[in-house]
Amino acid sequence: MVTYWLKTLLKYVGLTAILAVMLFPLVWMIRVAFLPSSSGSVTLTSLFASSFTFENFTYLFVTGSIGRDLFNSAFVAIVVTAGNILFCFMVAYVLARQPNVWTKLLFGSVLVVLMIPAHILIVPLYSLMTSDMMPIHDTYYALILPWLVYPIGIFLVKQYIESLPTSMEEAARIDGASELRIICQVVMPLCKPVLAVLAIQVFFTNWNSLLFPLILTSSEHLRTLPVGLSHYGSDEWAPLQHKMAGATIAVIPVLILFIILQRRIVSGITAGAVKQ
Amino acid sequence: MGFSNKELLRADWQWVGLQNYVTLFKDEHFLSALGNTFVFVVGTVPITTILALGMALLVNRKFRGRGIFRAGYFFPSITSMVVIALIFQELYRRDGYVAMLATMIGLTPPEYGFLIDKSTALYSIMAMDIWMSVGYYMLIFLAGLKSIPDELYEAARMQGASFFHQLRYITIPILRPVALFIIVINSIKSFQVFVEIYVMTGGKSDTMSMVYFVYENGVTKAFQFGYASAAAIILFAIIGVFSIMQFSILKRREPIW
Amino acid sequence: MVAIWTDPAIKPTIREMVSDFEQQNPDIKVKLTDLTWSHGHEKIVLAFASGRGPDVVELGSDWIAQFAENGQLTDISADIASDSAEYQGWSMANYNGRIMAYPWFLGTRVLFGNLDLMAKAGYDDTFVPVSWPQLLEASKKISALGPKYYGWGSNAPEKHRLYKKYLPFLWSAGGQILTDDGKLCVIASTYAIDGLTIYKMLHDSAGYVAKQRGIEDAFLDGKVGFIISGDWLLKRIEKENRKINLLSTLIPGPTLPGRSFKGGEFLAINAKSEKKEAAMKFVRFITSPEQQIKFCKANRSANPSSVKAQQDPYFASNDHIQTFIKQIRLAKHPPVDPDWVYMEGIIEQAVEDVVFNGEPVAESLRKARHEIEKQRK
Repeated sequence: MVTYWLKTLLKYVGLTAILAVMLFPLVWMIRVAFLPSSSGSVTLTSLFASSFTFENFTYLFVTGSIGRDLFNSAFVAIVVTAGNILFCFMVAYVLARQPNVWTKLLFGSVLVVLMIPAHILIVPLYSLMTSDMMPIHDTYYALILPWLVYPIGIFLVKQYIESLPTSMEEAARIDGASELRIICQVVMPLCKPVLAVLAIQVFFTNWNSLLFPLILTSSEHLRTLPVGLSHYGSDEWAPLQHKMAGATIAVIPVLILFIILQRRIVSGITAGAVKQ
Repeated sequence: MGFSNKELLRADWQWVGLQNYVTLFKDEHFLSALGNTFVFVVGTVPITTILALGMALLVNRKFRGRGIFRAGYFFPSITSMVVIALIFQELYRRDGYVAMLATMIGLTPPEYGFLIDKSTALYSIMAMDIWMSVGYYMLIFLAGLKSIPDELYEAARMQGASFFHQLRYITIPILRPVALFIIVINSIKSFQVFVEIYVMTGGKSDTMSMVYFVYENGVTKAFQFGYASAAAIILFAIIGVFSIMQFSILKRREPIW
Repeated sequence: MVAIWTDPAIKPTIREMVSDFEQQNPDIKVKLTDLTWSHGHEKIVLAFASGRGPDVVELGSDWIAQFAENGQLTDISADIASDSAEYQGWSMANYNGRIMAYPWFLGTRVLFGNLDLMAKAGYDDTFVPVSWPQLLEASKKISALGPKYYGWGSNAPEKHRLYKKYLPFLWSAGGQILTDDGKLCVIASTYAIDGLTIYKMLHDSAGYVAKQRGIEDAFLDGKVGFIISGDWLLKRIEKENRKINLLSTLIPGPTLPGRSFKGGEFLAINAKSEKKEAAMKFVRFITSPEQQIKFCKANRSANPSSVKAQQDPYFASNDHIQTFIKQIRLAKHPPVDPDWVYMEGIIEQAVEDVVFNGEPVAESLRKARHEIEKQRK
């Protein structure tokens, strides 16, 4: 009994130590976000400061009017995330369950796209969007269209489907279920954990992306949160307190999404679902 | 474009054949970027993968408060780069916490801080990268662990298999596709490392990476788009070869460990 | 379309200026595009590369040559003949004898000191360091005050920043980067060696090492005795409500005040613009003395390009701003050369090697000269 308690204690101490290392920035960021911007230079020890204010947030919302930016970010990120869940799953299912020359070739090309550094794509992408062929520069399309399918998402979901046992699909097929039914009622529910991971990943990447929205749009009404923040709080000489307030606002939605979706990842396959 | 002398702000250009590639392999900045990128990949990918697997196994089992630990461990991968950069720059200062730690265990920290010293700057950024990406891969491992039916473990336990036996014969084989994903993706991402270096050292102190080189020479500093494209093609080829190698090793049926 | 850098604090001022302009010129419509400091350059470059750049663009002085050399800017030499004497900064926009941009507001660096630390180190309030030996001695004395104090803010390797700190020492010693005709690189002269040697001595004996932002933070916190900085520091002090007993003075030279670094923001007209006349009208309006005064007051800029604007009582009212106005007369700018972006990187590397990697001064500068010559061939 004593050894059991000792073991549990040790385990929690270890887990908490790792937690502290991982969470330090969050705590620091939130602390600094509530420091008055005239409180002197910010250092690591600002964590233990005593002053407290909301002025950084008022500054961002009133002077910076980032309300609209927040809406844009949420709208774009939700559309892109939904698109990715749908499209990545569709493509990945075919790639995983119907291996033939063509799907292998397709998968190869997905990997090839993955291997091109995104920063290099900005030049051709910009040229395309300002050309007459596809004049979507400075519209919502510019923020959404390029990101509807992340190659990394196809890869992620495909690898996951491959690790699933095929027994249930076969059982359903024998029962005479249509292919669409199998996909929607058998495979998709099994994929919930990985689709949750995908959703978090895509939402976060899109939510936080700065360079592409900044360059592919110019109008004020199209600004996303990171673009808005880079105008109103992240300029180099802006007080760190403003930057941290901005970062705090930016991280909250992702954190909420994670807390909601992590249960999906936890629940996973119910034990009875796999009848061998 | 990699075979031309296209400049970003000029319309006219010619094919120049392999000229760019010859110049690249004489360009000491490019060679150092190439070397740094390899060090980055070789140093971060294995450590991140192993740590992520370990952490996933830790928080996979049922215990009180595991949700908090999961969220906490995942947190660095959703923190804004601005915040991370600020904190780590402070940590790596010559009077920062890392230097204090190094002194405590009897090492001499670099005179001007870890990010300025050429011999430590790149490794410091690598450590930061591991810290910030491990949570994401942990999450993918977690999702993968969920595809393992509990019955398998129960059966194994009934036969008296130890934790390591279960790991070796159940967990790892089933996780293989997921592990392949993680290793390939992490390698590709590491080969393309840019933002971390951009915010931490700006490519100074011998930390220039391939994508940094490409971006700087093609867009921000010089407009040698053809030359930069040639460097990008080399990077692309390296990633391709690396990924094919990883696929063929990890796809083999028989366990390699 | 006009592309301009913005800071949220001056955005209303720029909007006001634009609407005044549109009222005076009802046939011209101005569309403003904001650029951020972090990725503004990429945006301009890509817009020009796609052939759809703005009609008027704000460019930093060090970018004019590169854009001009690529044929992206309009030669405005003929238009400005009449007002050339009323504005400063033309030499920074002079590319091969042609004027490619209109000076808007200029910037230079001065020496800032913390009077409280100087008093603690035993100096009375009449002391002002004007020479290198004085600056070095004062820095050393402040460093000797205790482990928390440093005499001198020494820049860590940071792009586009580190070289700007060394150049004043190079120029003050009498050195140059290129000869006057631009043909030879003389970065390894004995003057250049003197300048880098004293720079390293300051760093070695009293340096607080951080990026520009970090050394300013430390200075404003009262930990650092002297730093070189620009007019934005005054803005920071005001904005962040800092309490500091500030000294501002000309950058020291070997024996007397020396040369500082100058740059500036310029307005250029796109070579492909179809509305050059309207663009020029807008440029003239926004750079007119009245508008410059308005802008400088809002942005706390100390150096308008218009000579008339400089005579406004606003600039005389503040001693620190006066220092900037005096300093810019004693300031130089890097060569207007399309290869400058490369040269800048090479010089920066040499300074980094000497200061942080312990390489010998003369050898590093010789290596830099060699590389610059290779680049310019």
